Amino acid sequence: MSLQLLISGISLGSVYALIAVGFAIVFSVLKFSNFAHGGMISACAYIGYYFQRSFPSTPPIYVTILFSALCGVALSFLVDFIAYRRLRAKQAPNIYYFLASITVSIAIVQILSVFYGNNLYAYPAIFESTTFFIGSIRFSTIDTLILLVSLAMLAVLIYLIDKTRVGLAIRAVAINAQTSKLMGINSGFIIVAVFAIAGVLAGVSGVLLGLKYSIYPTLGSQMMLKGFIASVIGGLGSLSGAIAAAIILGVVEIFLTYYLGSLSTPIILFGVMLVFLAVRPEGIAGRFAKDKV
Amino acid sequence: MKKYLAVLLAVVFVAAMAVTGCNPADQGSTPDASAPVQTPANTQGGAETPTEEPNLEPIKIGCIQDTSGGASIAGKPNEWGVQYAVKWINENGGVNGRMIELYTRDCQNDAEVGVTCYRELVDEIGVSAIIGPPLSNPASAWVDLATEDQIPIVGHFMDEQCTTDPETGEAYPYMFLAEPSCSVQSYILAQYAMEELGVKTVATLFNTSNAYAVAHEAPFVDYIKANGGTVLAEETFTWTDTDYTAQAQKIAALNPDAVLLCDYCNQMVTAYDNLRDAGYTGKILGANTMYPPFNTLVKNKVYDCYFVQNYDLKDTTKGTIAELVATQMADTNTDYPTSNVGFGWDAAMVLYNAMLQANDPADGEEVREILENNTADVLSAGGETITIDPATHRPTRDMGMYIATYDENNEIVCLVYRTTDYVK
Repeated sequence: MSLQLLISGISLGSVYALIAVGFAIVFSVLKFSNFAHGGMISACAYIGYYFQRSFPSTPPIYVTILFSALCGVALSFLVDFIAYRRLRAKQAPNIYYFLASITVSIAIVQILSVFYGNNLYAYPAIFESTTFFIGSIRFSTIDTLILLVSLAMLAVLIYLIDKTRVGLAIRAVAINAQTSKLMGINSGFIIVAVFAIAGVLAGVSGVLLGLKYSIYPTLGSQMMLKGFIASVIGGLGSLSGAIAAAIILGVVEIFLTYYLGSLSTPIILFGVMLVFLAVRPEGIAGRFAKDKV
Repeated sequence: MKKYLAVLLAVVFVAAMAVTGCNPADQGSTPDASAPVQTPANTQGGAETPTEEPNLEPIKIGCIQDTSGGASIAGKPNEWGVQYAVKWINENGGVNGRMIELYTRDCQNDAEVGVTCYRELVDEIGVSAIIGPPLSNPASAWVDLATEDQIPIVGHFMDEQCTTDPETGEAYPYMFLAEPSCSVQSYILAQYAMEELGVKTVATLFNTSNAYAVAHEAPFVDYIKANGGTVLAEETFTWTDTDYTAQAQKIAALNPDAVLLCDYCNQMVTAYDNLRDAGYTGKILGANTMYPPFNTLVKNKVYDCYFVQNYDLKDTTKGTIAELVATQMADTNTDYPTSNVGFGWDAAMVLYNAMLQANDPADGEEVREILENNTADVLSAGGETITIDPATHRPTRDMGMYIATYDENNEIVCLVYRTTDYVK
């Protein structure tokens, strides 16, 4: 049973990782927690669903994910344009970004509720069976897919950030935007690039979460809480830390729920988050995070 | 620049009001059923009338539903059912010639927002009665307010604590339920499971944050224990949980004959999938939120599911539910039939029946008296009758529930209509 719980925990953690990475990428550069990411995930889940339904025969899931990711980029630009650009121009304090991101998230959920609240939707199943076995251990097919996609996205992101000129610029802007500007880096372009990456992540997450759960307006924002915890424990702004923390969070949550029950588990999880903020604010990744908004 | 800013703010404000549905005159989303139907009678109603002439002033009624929160999937059709009933009442002469004006508000499945909606409807609009949601959390917050303001509230808040004091068992004077309570529904389901399905051991998986779910689970467990069955596990989750894999694995390891799931449709879907993914192959019992779209949302094959259902939505020979559902689906672009349309209709009809008997249908105290003592055989959307028990303010036990299942084509099938006289 313990091994089965471990596998289930890793599966659950992979879902949290998907959210946490999108969270971390924006925090790493802009130093604020982009809660609008949850609303964008919900919107992308609907976009992917309607994209699939617009064809007489259902297109392959990777086509849907690609389309949703592109729409996620467009949506991300729109959110940046509406909510954050003027704040950046005014060099507003982080609390304004925080408020703007919460507001955008609520607005997206409300808009989705008004236009799509009459129905719950589900993507057609992409696997014949919802589980598969390796030995006596049961694996969830969709959770395994999510885990693989999360790891693949992490690999691409790490390559992008560590091995490319754009990545170098992102790291420079993340450390100090003003100094980077003086060194000739177009920080405006870098911020746009970061929002584009966050948009891709929202698009991919929307479709994958839609495949796992039903599609409803609060789908993304409901998942944000655990993604945020993972992001804090991992070290806000650290991509690999976020993924590692998300997996650990999933495993711990499964074991605690199994042995202590679902009522006590959140108390312990939030307690761990508080301990990290108090004792090790840089998270398990050990990277210094200046702001913890 | 300031002028542009002012114009921009005005546009944003109007757009926000439209999006959030806070238009003070909002009457819902169904155009033809939304606005009170203007008839010669009600357009004259505003004028001062001599005492010998009948009072034709419109009667203001509030309707509070969750149309944007976590239970909006039920709240929207519920609201539509109320609007459609009011439209029907007005087209058929209103309440003894007086038209009904309906004022709808969105409580977002939040007790505090629900109180704000209530206060606005009562203090600012001046409604005489309120049709409440199929939600127990917001409704329980109105118990004292309704008594203080003498505002009858009729709704589908199925937790018995919304209609009777849990300490004394006495009915709250102004709260009325228009369908079998959670307890009655659970007794019917448990009875069916033990008598017809041969269930001896059960487990439950339910949302402890949701009064609706808690109010289903406890009576179910009581019935099973009282009748010689064994409860192997009572597993829980809360609103913040998105996955119940750990609980499902625990239940699967115990392998009970049946598992009861209690919460709203979304959570039921996740719970069902988690249980099947954990390898549980036994019977799964459910509250009436297991009706469609549950069958279209689950990722696993639907089998051995049994749940309580208020109406046989396909039965065109009895009641108006089939017609109501077809009209609602066409009007609102809804993809699947839902019982909540009937809930809204039934609550409106119970209130209408009382108002028809009142000398002054806008007098909350008089309408309350009639609701309590003279509500008998009101025809429900499903073709059954609703008789309010004066002692509990809930339908008498002869109003039952269907036991439904899904067939091999994933279609809902109502197996049997059952009532219960079981009392804990």
